Amino acid sequence: MLRVATDIGGTFTDLVCVTPDGQVITGKSHTTPAQFEKGVMDVIAASGIQPSEFASFVHGTTIVINAITERKGAKVGLLTTEGFRDILEIGRGTRPDFFNLEYRKPQPFVPRYLRREVRERINYKGIETTPLDLSGLPAILDDFRAEGVEAIAICFINSYANPAHEEAALARVKELWPEVSAVASHQITREWREYERTSTAVLSAYVQPVAHRYLDRLTGALYEAGMRCTPYIMQSNCGVDTVRSARQIPITMVESGPASGVWGAAALGRLIGEPNAIAIDIGGTTAKCSLITGGQVKLNTDYHIGRTETSAGYPVMVPVVDLVEIGQGGGSIAWVDEFRRLHVGPQSAGAVPGPVSYGIGGTEATTTDANLALGCINPHYFCGGTIEADMDGVARALDKLAVALNISRQEAARSIIRVANNNMVNAIKLISVNRGHDPRDFTLIAFGGGGGMHACALARELNIKKVIIPKQSSVFSAWGMLMTDLRRDYLLTQIVELSAPEAAAQLDRDLRQLEEKALREYVAEGIDPARVHFLRYGRCRYQNQEHSVEIILPGGEITADQVKAIRQRFDTDYQREYTYTLDAPVELVAYHLVAIAEVDKLKPEKLPVTGRKLEDAIKMQREVDYVEAGIHLATIYNGDALEPGMSFVGPAVIEEAGATTVIPPGLPCQVDEYGNYHIRTNQRG
Amino acid sequence: MARSKVDPFTMEIIKDALIAIGDEMFVATQRTSMSTIIYEVLDYACGLTDHKAQLITQGNGVTLFLGTLTSGVQAILDKFGLDGLEPGDIILHNDPYTGGGTHLSDVAQFMPIFYNGQVVGFAANKGHWTEVGGKDAGSWTTDSTEIYQEGLQFPCIKLFKAGEVDQSLVDLIAANVRTPEMTLGDMFAQAASVRLGTRRFQELCDRYGLELVQAGIEALLDYGEEMTRRELARLPKGTYEAVDYIDDDGLGNGPFKVCVKVTITDDQFICDFTGTHPQVPGPVNCSRSGLETGVRTIFKALTDPSIPTNEGCFRPLKIICPDGTIFTAQRPAAVSTYWETVLYVSDLVWKAMAPIVPDRLPAGHFLSVCGVVLAGKHPDTGDLFLLVEPQAGGWGAGHTKDGESGLVSVGDGETYIIPVEVCETRYGVLVDQYGFDICEGGAGRYRGGRGLVRDYRITADEAWYTGTFGRHKFRPWAMDGGQPGSPNYTRFIFADGREPVVVGKSARVHLKKGDVARLVTATGGGWGNPYERPIEAVQEDVKNGYITLEMAEKGYGVILDQDTLEVKGVTKERR
Repeated sequence: MLRVATDIGGTFTDLVCVTPDGQVITGKSHTTPAQFEKGVMDVIAASGIQPSEFASFVHGTTIVINAITERKGAKVGLLTTEGFRDILEIGRGTRPDFFNLEYRKPQPFVPRYLRREVRERINYKGIETTPLDLSGLPAILDDFRAEGVEAIAICFINSYANPAHEEAALARVKELWPEVSAVASHQITREWREYERTSTAVLSAYVQPVAHRYLDRLTGALYEAGMRCTPYIMQSNCGVDTVRSARQIPITMVESGPASGVWGAAALGRLIGEPNAIAIDIGGTTAKCSLITGGQVKLNTDYHIGRTETSAGYPVMVPVVDLVEIGQGGGSIAWVDEFRRLHVGPQSAGAVPGPVSYGIGGTEATTTDANLALGCINPHYFCGGTIEADMDGVARALDKLAVALNISRQEAARSIIRVANNNMVNAIKLISVNRGHDPRDFTLIAFGGGGGMHACALARELNIKKVIIPKQSSVFSAWGMLMTDLRRDYLLTQIVELSAPEAAAQLDRDLRQLEEKALREYVAEGIDPARVHFLRYGRCRYQNQEHSVEIILPGGEITADQVKAIRQRFDTDYQREYTYTLDAPVELVAYHLVAIAEVDKLKPEKLPVTGRKLEDAIKMQREVDYVEAGIHLATIYNGDALEPGMSFVGPAVIEEAGATTVIPPGLPCQVDEYGNYHIRTNQRG
Repeated sequence: MARSKVDPFTMEIIKDALIAIGDEMFVATQRTSMSTIIYEVLDYACGLTDHKAQLITQGNGVTLFLGTLTSGVQAILDKFGLDGLEPGDIILHNDPYTGGGTHLSDVAQFMPIFYNGQVVGFAANKGHWTEVGGKDAGSWTTDSTEIYQEGLQFPCIKLFKAGEVDQSLVDLIAANVRTPEMTLGDMFAQAASVRLGTRRFQELCDRYGLELVQAGIEALLDYGEEMTRRELARLPKGTYEAVDYIDDDGLGNGPFKVCVKVTITDDQFICDFTGTHPQVPGPVNCSRSGLETGVRTIFKALTDPSIPTNEGCFRPLKIICPDGTIFTAQRPAAVSTYWETVLYVSDLVWKAMAPIVPDRLPAGHFLSVCGVVLAGKHPDTGDLFLLVEPQAGGWGAGHTKDGESGLVSVGDGETYIIPVEVCETRYGVLVDQYGFDICEGGAGRYRGGRGLVRDYRITADEAWYTGTFGRHKFRPWAMDGGQPGSPNYTRFIFADGREPVVVGKSARVHLKKGDVARLVTATGGGWGNPYERPIEAVQEDVKNGYITLEMAEKGYGVILDQDTLEVKGVTKERR
């Protein structure tokens, strides 16, 4: 029986399959935007495997984020508390691009005429102050029908404290209009801040019909093809969830692709004893990086779609893997501005025309082209030998830049790599230095098509001591999906002052209730309660602060002594993050419960050692320009012929079908028992 | 080291690293602050200067502090000189009449950065403290008459001496402010941020060497200047003028004439405010630092908003204004709501230039920060609560777009208005409504954006409301035949049935449980003749309720059926 993961990306749909004897099969097919499920069925067929043989199937997709960024979701009607229909359009009123007086606010996903009010009110303590009056609802729904509304979002003021009115309104909507897709904010999050919660509910409603149709067609096709296992859907919180649950709140899939890569890096780090790592995924158009501490990924609940330095974006209050993404990949285009400064990206040559070296029409030099020119990539083994790189075209494109910058062709190629690396170094700083972590304390785990090419240079710039390139680095995100469990995050805003006498009892009661709710939901889906375990977190802060620090809370019964320990842990964590502590009261502002249900996931197997000699893996020698370290005659290894225990020292390059790993002079590289490459970057060559 | 010999890519890396230091200091402050005015409103700025007080980089949350860090460092140099500083010193400063001070609530901290025994720069953090003492809760008010009523003055004094905190000073501050915990919390958060900036700058010197870092700084400043000059060259040369009026000073005096003459030459942008009203008794005066900030803000908007902010950007700028005006007030003038007047500085230049640079400048917006202080005892805890917040309002229409609705003013920036749910939990109020104010004003070929209405119903036994809503009498200006916007105001609706009261500026209005303070911000000015607005756009506006049927007819000359919104005809004015 096979464990299979598929990942729909912008250009390709990837597949990773692990056979019972540990053999790994990978596949790639074109993504088919009109019917995404077709690409999935294509890649399964192309990999020569049958759905009837699947022991498990995990799926990640960009369908949700695409529907939002391309504005291809449903027409949504919004129900709000009387007096608050403009919350969605006001947002937080912020002007991030503050010297730009022509700033345009992000357009709301629901126009004003489809934002309707209901008389009701609950106060901040969760007490009803105005009863819910749904007498106007039938007329509102008639208007929505007439306007072609396909999905309804409901968000009432203070529903985080008491969702009773939202629940009643949702039930009534479903009664009056059973076919319509509907969601209420409390189903997604119980955190305060009405604009953010409204936006979350609206975006979830916006993608619901699209996601329903897609998931139904995909599972239909798989079952029809003979699949018998329960499929799982990759979530933004680095877990997977059932199709039923993903259908209900599809917005949780928003960063499903990036999450699996980061999770894969964390899982790999735990497996090989590297719990503190910076994961970087360098693809064709973007690079994404994320920080892993103690084997744990970091989640961000202040996630915004489309937020940039010049746009406020759209908040989504679901836990999303905390990562920074920049427009910097193999296809990023190099260009010179009017001050003769060289830039790389964020524009990308994409898959078509692609880098100049593809020879299908690209004329602007890209990072991949520069890597070819420097000898890092083998022009005769380009894309696994499927394409003969157009080196004449690359030379012409680099010469254009060289003229504009008044430097040599070689210098132009080097400069592209240096600028690209610098952009990635800055992205890594954003997730490390800017959040109080020193990159020197971390190992760099690099993957994606360009991971191995840039990792050593990035590590040396950041004083990182060690780089790891995973064995399946080009399809590592799909591999990461095979390492996941079912995971659900429950967030609840509740203010508890830790010094209050009743704090222990309240924490105990609230946590227990949350756990019971989570367990109930799993059991209702037929999941064995014995496989469920919980991680408890509390967001704490000094009273009057706004931003909180998330700390681990103990399991089991919470006693007064444990509350004291929680306070101490907070002070310790706070001190580490912000360099000081205060003698002020501490309050818990929200619970964050993680409910994990273990699934029968992949247990990676060590690779066999056949006693093959290192010499047998050597393909040839060629000149490689290592930019900072200069030009050297490098030994080129065939990655498929390397096996555990082998080691060698750069200058070297490891070539595999989908990936190239560049090892500068003097740096030792060792193959571990799973086939991953460990490169020590603190050696000076 | 000559710059030409420095490899340009290393230079880029150093420049990026310097900018990143400002950003990192900024984030650290936001995460550790205790007051909403810092962590939500982001009413603070962080940055680095070199040892000559030239701004290297500035992390901003709002536009208002542009320029104040530089003159703050200059004030320190004037007082202590480089020899009077030691490693670990942190200097506290808020004096409005010497360099960099704005009002007493904005307290700056500066730390000299030592490297190899010499001062190589300064790390700075200036932020709005919720409380600095003074006659009224929240410290700023609309009816003070001299600075001594507005809080504690810190005239460039050392909070830390060689790394040791001056405990007497801390105790003095704690004893003189109403919320010592919050004030000291913010104070130490600021200190942590300047220490962080200092450490990062030193690390950068360790990595690249001081010489190279200093060359990087020069390159960064030159780059700012070069980019700015390129943009300046695109502006048409000439002289442009604007006149406006400030409503009043909070004490019943006014209105006050303010004016500017902008002259653009090949290499200079000169703003001459001669003719502006002398300083006034109420607290709407601003000092020269404020004037400088106001001009720098609009200059940045006019050139290129995306150029990283540093001293180089402002080299082409020249400001002329005699001493003792409402823009250049002298001690001991009251200045606690100085920002209302600083915004007029920006708005005047804006108004003068809008016809010339329509692709960068829309018509007039609600302008006032519409700052509010609401103080009382929380009904649950009995503790003092202090709600201090700005409002969002309507922006003017552009020459090809409608105005933005519900956006913070030019004086704010990455400012987040306080969520209703946070407000209700923290302060003794219920918010009855928060939405667009659909009123007369802002009609045009392109429509002014809508202001907001926010109702605070008092749940505490009693509370005191202070609000400074400028542009209450003199409305947001229109362009090219559009209609001016609507006024900013607060309306008090009393539970005992008394006649409601409408005001612009108000001080300590006593409210009781059940009373409502209705905060209304202006709709922005329109652009172009409203009769030229396409009928479909008017229909769409009525459908969305941005304008009423009556406004469609009266303002735009379009008569619509009230049920179907079909066009029944147009008025003869529109024809």
